[in-house]
Amino acid sequence: MSEFGSNSENGGRVLSFEREEKCHSAGCLELVVQGKATHYHGPRNVDSLLRAMGENSLYANVRINGDVLDRRDFENVSIKTDDTIDILYFMGGGACST
Amino acid sequence: MFDLTDEEILRYSRHIILSEVGGTGQQKLKEARVLVVGAGGLGSPVLLYLAAAGVGRIGVIEDDVVDVTNLQRQVIHATADVDKPKVHSASETMKQINPLIEVDVYHERLTRDNIFPLLENYDIVVDGVDNFPTRYLINDACVMKKKFLVEGGILRFMGLIMSINGGETACYRCVFEEPPPPGTVPSCAEAGILGAVAGVVGTLQATEVLKIITGVGEPLFNRLLQFDAEGLRFHEVNARRNPKCPVCGENPTITELIEYAYTCETQAPGSS
Ligand SMILES: [Zn+2]
Repeated sequence: MSEFGSNSENGGRVLSFEREEKCHSAGCLELVVQGKATHYHGPRNVDSLLRAMGENSLYANVRINGDVLDRRDFENVSIKTDDTIDILYFMGGGACST
Repeated sequence: MFDLTDEEILRYSRHIILSEVGGTGQQKLKEARVLVVGAGGLGSPVLLYLAAAGVGRIGVIEDDVVDVTNLQRQVIHATADVDKPKVHSASETMKQINPLIEVDVYHERLTRDNIFPLLENYDIVVDGVDNFPTRYLINDACVMKKKFLVEGGILRFMGLIMSINGGETACYRCVFEEPPPPGTVPSCAEAGILGAVAGVVGTLQATEVLKIITGVGEPLFNRLLQFDAEGLRFHEVNARRNPKCPVCGENPTITELIEYAYTCETQAPGSS
């Protein structure tokens, strides 16, 4: 089970995190996500991180340490402690609207 | 001297008193020509503030009519405007606020066929649409014609703003190279939108337009600003020009306008 930051239960709030937290177990990553220090437990790839962050993240583009990732690589690109991750959300869409 | 009447000097006195704007800036606003695409959630505050600010010529293009579900956020329209074309409702409100400006009304959809002729009449474009085909069409056209573009998007409790100097600074495709797969990103009609979030993002877009026209401050070029209303936080991301950008990169693959297909069978009402 993935756990993300301090609001892993809130799938809706994905741009920010409640507070800075230190890792207190092995296998935990310290990341900077959307400019905020946070921690993450879970499979160490971008796809799993996004899933842990909530539903909206699945529609996003991702940059790690400044580099934009190809969406097709999300499952293959690994993440490590101290990575800076920016989630760039697609907004203002919906193929159903005019 | 400035070509401002006594009436204009009085009306815009709170602008003119700002030393960074002054009579010179107000004159620039009077001479400016801005096209706003969409008269919905984002277009409403943009149009209201640009009209009030004395932007001399404002175009508004939108093919939709006012629906009662729009009124929760599309503050340029009133209950009595339901079923009216949004462009007419919007221009009436703008003229009530400021009869000294010109409003060009286009009750049609922005398409590959009409966008270039339209852009000839305007210097700055504001994106207030709620669909990706039109969003990418506007970006590509503004890069090709070297127009300023102020991007905005909203969804649920989030918003996004980015200013673009077409062909000079990072464009929307430099960050979001291709539209997301059809059906993956919901619309406001499907996922909802907190009405005031549209106001925050649209008002920031209007602020960017006024800054670009007057030359005040630093526009949001090469930066992407994301807004999270739940945590009340802004997150800024650097957005340098991408050499691999398909429209403004070193070897562009998009050299003429493309219009992505709408893939849903049902049509949800309204602009974002
Ligand atoms: Zn570009």
